[in-house]
Amino acid sequence: MEVPASFVVVSLLLSCFVGTSYGVYFSSLNKTLIVTATPKQGQVLKAGEDKITVTWRFNKTYPAGTDSSYKTIKIKLCYAPVSQKDRSWRKTVDLLKKDKTCPHKIVARPYAASNNTFTWTIERDIPSAVYFVRAFAVNAEDQQVAYGQTTDAHKSTNLFEVQAITGRHVSLDVASICFSAFSIVSLAGFFYMEKRKGKK
Amino acid sequence: MPEIEGSPGTSMHGVTGREPVLAFSVASPMVHMDHNAKFDLPVDSEHKATVFKLFSFANPHMRTFHLSWISFFTTFISTFAAAPLVPIIRDNLNLTKSDIGNAGVASVSGSIFSRLVMGAVCDLLGPRYGCAFLIMLSAPTVFCMSFVSDASGYIVVRFMIGFSLATFVSCQYWMSTMFNSKIIGLVNGTAAGWGNMGGGATQLLMPVLFEIIKKAGATPFTAWRIAFFVPGWFNVIMGILVLTLGQDLPDGNLGALQKKGDVAKDKFGKVLWYAVTNYRTWIFVLLYGYSMGVELTIDNVIAEYFYDRFDLQLHLAGIIAACFGMANLLARPFGGFTSDYMAKRFGMRGRLWNLWLLQTAGGVCCVCLGLVNSLPLAITFMMLFSIGAQAACGATFGIIPFISRRSLGIISGMTGAGGNFGSGLTQLIFFASAPFSTAKGLTYMGLMIIGCTLPVSLVHFPQWGSMFLPPSKDIVKGSEEHYYVSEWTEEEKQKGMHQASLKFAENCRSERGGKVASAPTPPNNTPGHV
Repeated sequence: MEVPASFVVVSLLLSCFVGTSYGVYFSSLNKTLIVTATPKQGQVLKAGEDKITVTWRFNKTYPAGTDSSYKTIKIKLCYAPVSQKDRSWRKTVDLLKKDKTCPHKIVARPYAASNNTFTWTIERDIPSAVYFVRAFAVNAEDQQVAYGQTTDAHKSTNLFEVQAITGRHVSLDVASICFSAFSIVSLAGFFYMEKRKGKK
Repeated sequence: MPEIEGSPGTSMHGVTGREPVLAFSVASPMVHMDHNAKFDLPVDSEHKATVFKLFSFANPHMRTFHLSWISFFTTFISTFAAAPLVPIIRDNLNLTKSDIGNAGVASVSGSIFSRLVMGAVCDLLGPRYGCAFLIMLSAPTVFCMSFVSDASGYIVVRFMIGFSLATFVSCQYWMSTMFNSKIIGLVNGTAAGWGNMGGGATQLLMPVLFEIIKKAGATPFTAWRIAFFVPGWFNVIMGILVLTLGQDLPDGNLGALQKKGDVAKDKFGKVLWYAVTNYRTWIFVLLYGYSMGVELTIDNVIAEYFYDRFDLQLHLAGIIAACFGMANLLARPFGGFTSDYMAKRFGMRGRLWNLWLLQTAGGVCCVCLGLVNSLPLAITFMMLFSIGAQAACGATFGIIPFISRRSLGIISGMTGAGGNFGSGLTQLIFFASAPFSTAKGLTYMGLMIIGCTLPVSLVHFPQWGSMFLPPSKDIVKGSEEHYYVSEWTEEEKQKGMHQASLKFAENCRSERGGKVASAPTPPNNTPGHV
């Protein structure tokens, strides 16, 4: 009775260690795009207020025809290594499907070799962190085929900081204090009333 | 003839130190019923209900049941409300992995202390006040989430909210004063299990609230703060209901009964002494850390685990995480039920084996949960683990009422605290520090569960035996009366303070299991025998 059950369990277990390892690897991509963004090295921007202007174009030093498969350009806001430290949910993984470096979308545009620019107001759900900008060229099957970024290969230059909104509001604070006071006062009130009834 | 009462939960109509007491010469497995008492449910000689009518709200037994489990449910919602929202909170407050882990540890650590205190409070002031005070005083801590702006604030607030988990003790204690020992496993298991469901319900509730508030126009970093007002208000409402609708004992409230002289006040020092010097207390403190403790740990880490490892959306991860906690609906009562069922045939030995089997099975499934890479298998093992661990919690509290009669409150409190200590410890070792991935942490935690469940084989009752050893053959030492009355000194027995323990001993003869032959009367146990 026990042996078949454990055999099934073990074979099921082994079968799911055969992970899905197809997909595009970041290390296989060429840096064929030149991307620049307005924030300078070390600049601090405020979420919800400040803007980033991104420009991108194809690097003509690559042979002509390299960009024939590029359909769309996706611009993303990416975490610098210092903001990935101790935060495994922002980990850089070579397999792009599993990569969590660039979760924030700035814009997606159809591909054009030059004269591309976009101004983006930093959204209010962008967390406080150090960032750079990366562009992915995507083909018709929605697979990444090339990239470009505002920083170097070690992600150490030209990084900028975003300061997030706190999410706090005065009205919330006031409501919180009022409700807390209500709870304590009504508890004290009940207790006092019961003690008084008990004394009678 | 003055009526002499024992500890809370007793009613001794017509029995004084001078009259001939109820005959102990025929030990029967039947419960001594009090047919003169006017309650909605049939009651025993302590006025505890002998029947569990789930869908009734009759005062006092079933109403207490519902007030009790719902207040406990509410505190679970509040304590684990942050867990499913961690993916948003960690971005808002710029938390690191260790901040999140430490907050998880903090959320369960506060109640280690508060559960110990609550045990004493219940013994001395009654479960009604204990429960109401706790949940209404912790409501402000839930509202405080709106002020939090960094990691340290987050950790402190989660620590303070965690104090409210002590309602577990008031819940179990309250059930023990209202329900007879033959059904206490099922009743305690159901009340606590349904309360623990709050840990699952919150994983569904908070993401849904968050989405609704976001759709209403708030930004994510504000929406999660507003969402916290809902659990805060649950606390306030339940506190008011407990104060207005609840009562401590079947016969009334503790304060009133103590004033009338119906209930003797016991000394805290004595109650504590008998709890602490009973080795079984400590074994159960450890055991509960690896059934309830791991359940609390999973409540804190599982939503984030599914979100990160399997790349699920927030509300989907929340749904899966909710299934873990919601399994308590049936799993924990199931554990209490199997405990009572095994006791019918095998007595206390059956209860102990039942506990060991359930908890170890849970540990095995936890090991597998961390190993698998596929989502459906992970969910399967998670559910099997939840059933094992939660049923083990129910089975534990099917045994706790028998460890001591005098110190039930403190032992419940200590065991509950042990649960939280186990949770804090496992989160600290396996999840808060960087070197382990969460998946590895789950596997190692499963191995620790299996190891820490082994000590249940050491629990031995002289009157009932243990997992491997039979009961004592000595006529005196092998009686229930001897075990429970030994908690009282001769002086206290002279005052008749041990009457409740005698009643309890008589009512729990069924823990011998199977066919109970009439036990010979232990000598020198009947007070003032003519």
